[in-house]
Amino acid sequence: MPEDSPKKKPLAIGYFAVVEDDATGWTGGMLVLQPNGRPIEFQCTLPVRPSKAHQILFGPTLRDHVIGEVIGKLLAARCQSKIGLLCCDDAKALAVEPHVRCPIALACEREEESAHNSEQLQVIGNDCPSGMQPVTLAGKTFWVPMEQVPKVESLLPQFESLSDPSEPFDRIRQAINEAHSQLSRPKAQAA
Amino acid sequence: MRFPKLHRQQQPTAETQTPTDSKTGTAPNRAASAATRAASDLVAAVDTSRSWHVDDVLQAELCEYELAALETMALPIRLPKIQAKCRSFVFPEAAAWTPPANPKPKANTPPIPADDQKREKPQKGKNKHHRIKPPSDIVKLQDRLYYMLQPPLDLLVGSGQLNFPFEPFPYQLDGMAFLFPRYAAILADEMGLGKTMQAISTIRLLLCSGEARSILLICPKPLVTNWLREFSVWAPEIPIAAIEGNSAKRSFQWQSPNVPVKVANYELLMRDQSTIDELGLHFDLVVLDEAQRIKNRSSTTAQTVRSISRTRSWALTGTPVENCPDDLVGVFEFLSPGYLKPGMPVNQMAKQAGEFILRRTKDMVLDDMPPKLYRDADLDLTPEQWSTYEAAEQEGVLHLENLEQSLTIQHVFELVLRLKQICNFDPVTGASCKLERLVADIDEVAASGKKAIVFSQWVKSLDKIKDALQPYGPLEYHGKIPQKKRNVVIDQFKSDPNSHVILMSYGAGSVGLNLQFCEYVFLFDRWWNPAIEDQAINRAHRLGAAGAVTVTKMMAAGTIEQRINDVLDQKREMFDALFSGHDGPTRNAGLTREEIFGLFDLRAPCGKKVA
Repeated sequence: MPEDSPKKKPLAIGYFAVVEDDATGWTGGMLVLQPNGRPIEFQCTLPVRPSKAHQILFGPTLRDHVIGEVIGKLLAARCQSKIGLLCCDDAKALAVEPHVRCPIALACEREEESAHNSEQLQVIGNDCPSGMQPVTLAGKTFWVPMEQVPKVESLLPQFESLSDPSEPFDRIRQAINEAHSQLSRPKAQAA
Repeated sequence: MRFPKLHRQQQPTAETQTPTDSKTGTAPNRAASAATRAASDLVAAVDTSRSWHVDDVLQAELCEYELAALETMALPIRLPKIQAKCRSFVFPEAAAWTPPANPKPKANTPPIPADDQKREKPQKGKNKHHRIKPPSDIVKLQDRLYYMLQPPLDLLVGSGQLNFPFEPFPYQLDGMAFLFPRYAAILADEMGLGKTMQAISTIRLLLCSGEARSILLICPKPLVTNWLREFSVWAPEIPIAAIEGNSAKRSFQWQSPNVPVKVANYELLMRDQSTIDELGLHFDLVVLDEAQRIKNRSSTTAQTVRSISRTRSWALTGTPVENCPDDLVGVFEFLSPGYLKPGMPVNQMAKQAGEFILRRTKDMVLDDMPPKLYRDADLDLTPEQWSTYEAAEQEGVLHLENLEQSLTIQHVFELVLRLKQICNFDPVTGASCKLERLVADIDEVAASGKKAIVFSQWVKSLDKIKDALQPYGPLEYHGKIPQKKRNVVIDQFKSDPNSHVILMSYGAGSVGLNLQFCEYVFLFDRWWNPAIEDQAINRAHRLGAAGAVTVTKMMAAGTIEQRINDVLDQKREMFDALFSGHDGPTRNAGLTREEIFGLFDLRAPCGKKVA
């Protein structure tokens, strides 16, 4: 992630989410928004498909590895915008922390829009993970590593205009689905 | 292999037997010494001929097999690093949605439009975001993601980034989300659902986001002031001007760069076509209000509109089809020339056009919309009217039959009009079954303090009605009322408690007016197609309507009016087939040449083109 640019710009907020699909694999997306919610950048991986050997040898740690160290690391490296806060909605994504220069926050609720446009609220967990502390970002609770709480709290006023700080995760998933649908189309049709 | 030796008990033999008595031993000592000697002399031997051992029978042999030692081998598995590839999309940092500070309405003169005065605050959609979805004709992934990654409109409204004087209804946000990404679109909501507001708000979004800078809005002349008024309510910060005045002034207005939104009426546009061409004007967006005006592809209006250089084309109309499916082809010639073809099967046309059209009816989107109650008044003509009617019909049909090969559809129309006029009023005596009924009904309306609209096709009929309704303060709004006085008439009708009825012609009063304070609508006679009738009815039945709207359709039983009504019902079926979205088979229910002649059981002249 690039260092601070000399030109003073309002801090952006980043969102990182990964879509798992049996058919296509793991696809990650990082959406960078202006504080008013408008997109300025979107990074999207091509689907990642670990081999059978990976599945056997990594065992239950495969998910952490793919999300945090493969996808998250790549997206963070490719991101061009200066992000003030990175939000994720999967605890495994916290593994991306060493690769970003900003605090990371974990949403404690996840809203997903189904194909029928109804939303399902999925509570990621009731208990705050150890070493983390809840903060309220634009009316919604996020968990932040304890040592980063003061820094995150100082950033919160900049993002108060976000009316629903959890909603951008849905945008990422829909964008990934759109990218998948283009990939599945014949090349002549897809741009 | 060895087997253990078997130990068997030795049997005593004769030699080993000890004598129990001997004749030679007499004394005990002798006996004792003899016994001692005998014991030392006895020897036992094994009789090998009679003995056996298993080893002697089975030859045991020990065999040994040597197995090769197991060798272990290391097989290295190289686990490749999981590779991921990334695609980047960077979007332009356009201006924020937030327009310049929205002036708050003054307390004394709130600019609340009439149709919103009684509007309830809509329920915010709890379970659904109103997202901008790119249409299928936007194919580049970067462009599609640009729209998909925009924040939902409801959140923009909720966060205060998009300011509205009134919170929009959820379906209106959907309408904006539909229009925003489209370069060709028809917003075909039923009258009264707020097409104007949706168009203005989307125009505002385009201007604020920097996607459009010059917009031309074309509407019928009577609606120009309505558009200006609505802009002042929904987008007060956006400079807008109506193109009007003399040629020099208009030329100046066309070129004005400081006014991003220009409003022109259809007639003026035809006059200024050459000016537009000479100036080489290009618009980022051209919006046609009441776009059914260009349904006739070869009309001058349609050609003029199509000649305007533009990037985006939107059409607003509550009645994209008035007579036959080909009307839609005319509108699409403006949106996307050649996309639809005349004569295309209805199902195919509906399927192809579906992506470009958004149509909602009040029943679909408004749960709290007051009901629309239809009351068919099938009236018997007065004896005077019957007498005149029968004579006219017999004479007319005879005349048509005598025309034979020179018979045209125009002749049939003339007879239809004559008979319809008789159904309204007897030309000799002035008798009218409809008027009798209307006066009684209006009396009831006035007594309850309500207001009503009466529609007729003819100004002459309205004149006669006006005379009969004098006690109820009738006002007129039709083609003979000068344009400048029309707004005064509407204002008076709204504010004057003694004015209970307004008399309107279908042509002048069926579009763009908000009369939702009227609870009664009377169709004194019937128009040729149901779309126009619906437009007329929806002057009263629209957002903010005070209560149920009762529509009385007056029809002279057993006359030409009844026959026309049957054809109108068929047209409704055709409209539903085009816009209901189902794929079921539909019959072609347009008003065919044969059906028009069939009104009088006439047969169309064979091989002759009907004018």
